[in-house]
Amino acid sequence: MKRLPVTVSILAAAVMATSSYAGGDAIFQKDCADCHYTVGPAREKTISDQLAKKGPELWYAGSKFQKEWLLSWLQDPKPIRPMKYNSLTEKNPADHPKLSAGDSAAVTDYLMGLTSADVKAGVIKPKKSAKGRLIFTKKMPCSGCHQYPARKGKIKGGLSGPSLVGASKRLNPDWVYAYLMNTKVFKPVRDMPDFAGVLNPKAMEKVAAYVAIFK
Amino acid sequence: MRTLAVMIATLVSLTLLAGGTVQAAEDKQLFEFYCAQCHGLTGKGDGPNVTKDFKTDPRNFTSVADMEKLSDADIKNVVMDGGAAVSKSELMPPWGKTIAEADVDKLVAYVRKFCKCKAKGK
Ligand code: HEC
Ligand code: HEC
Ligand code: HEC
Repeated sequence: MKRLPVTVSILAAAVMATSSYAGGDAIFQKDCADCHYTVGPAREKTISDQLAKKGPELWYAGSKFQKEWLLSWLQDPKPIRPMKYNSLTEKNPADHPKLSAGDSAAVTDYLMGLTSADVKAGVIKPKKSAKGRLIFTKKMPCSGCHQYPARKGKIKGGLSGPSLVGASKRLNPDWVYAYLMNTKVFKPVRDMPDFAGVLNPKAMEKVAAYVAIFK
Repeated sequence: MRTLAVMIATLVSLTLLAGGTVQAAEDKQLFEFYCAQCHGLTGKGDGPNVTKDFKTDPRNFTSVADMEKLSDADIKNVVMDGGAAVSKSELMPPWGKTIAEADVDKLVAYVRKFCKCKAKGK
């Protein structure tokens, strides 16, 4: 009789270990936590802290990404940053770990649950505007560091920041606005300038709405 | 007594030297993190952002002719407020809200070293 509970617990452990039965949190801790942290607030204090990271922070992933995009990207990850993470000399090696459809669904659920109270919903409606375009391409240096879809299907722009091509499918427009308004909350140490006080809130809205239409 | 004095002097200068090296490493890190993406790791204005559609070449800091025209105050201004604020290209970003003023001062000195030239007005 004593053997039964032991067998049951071994069985339970075996079930837990098979990833298809495990929750997204468990898969994440096993396969992803080495490169990404998921508990906020932001930890980086110095340039060295930022350079020591092996991948971007994900503690506000649920506020930043669109669910459909995340679900498919985790199964077929294509480069987002043209350059290798934290490098100015090497290209993105395009070697991000891939997940099966089942694991991706579980991890997507887990990541979409990680949200930030600093992102207010329903503020930004994606919108093409002459003002937004002017800020992005002429008044501010955005295009110097970010690729974006220019006219006639051309991709233009610099390589040090994440590509904004496809931002309309990838990013939550409200997060883009919150990030521009409150940059330090999300990324206290980054090689992108803080535009709070340089652009007024109305201009931030316009540029966020403009980024949100990038195909 | 002599040996002690020598030993102390050596120790002091070693400490100073080490301090200087740490400082230099910090300045280099600042430059490489914030500026090299456009101005290049060697300051020639050829960072990875400078693709064929980059409208205005970032300043080549090794150019004596270009750098002699700028005073240290000019450099500090453009780093803090950006190119547009001094009628230069908007592609030179404003860093005043991002980099502490003390660090901007270190960057001014660091940038100046590339041309081994004098600041305007000095
Ligand atoms: C070896 C380190 C490493 C591991 C392990 C890793 N990642 Fe990543 N991850 C990265 C890097 C580097 C990037 C940036 C990729 C790019 O820009 O193309 C990234 C990007 C991401 C992004 C997009 C984040 C953003 O801000 O653009 C998500 C989401 C993500 N990873 C999820 C995961 C998940 C889920 C796992 C586990 C299955 C995982 N990663 C495992 C290094 C890693
Ligand atoms: C000097 C280069 C530089 C400039 C100028 C710049 N950015 Fe960035 N941007 C970056 C970098 C680098 C990151 C990523 C920071 C990180 O994850 O550590 C980033 C991140 C972003 C993100 C988040 C993208 C993502 O997938 O994580 C958005 C949106 C963005 N920038 C928009 C803008 C806008 C709008 C402007 C102009 C008002 C701008 N940027 C100007 C370098 C720049
Ligand atoms: C997004 C690209 C970009 C980044 C990042 C950048 N610069 Fe520039 N910088 C430029 C461009 C472009 C010019 C040329 C402006 C012109 O000639 O109109 C320039 C010009 C300058 C000049 C000369 C200004 C003048 O009046 O002639 C200095 C000094 C300078 N940058 C310093 C820096 C420092 C220091 C950093 C890092 C904190 C930095 N830059 C980061 C693009 C950049």
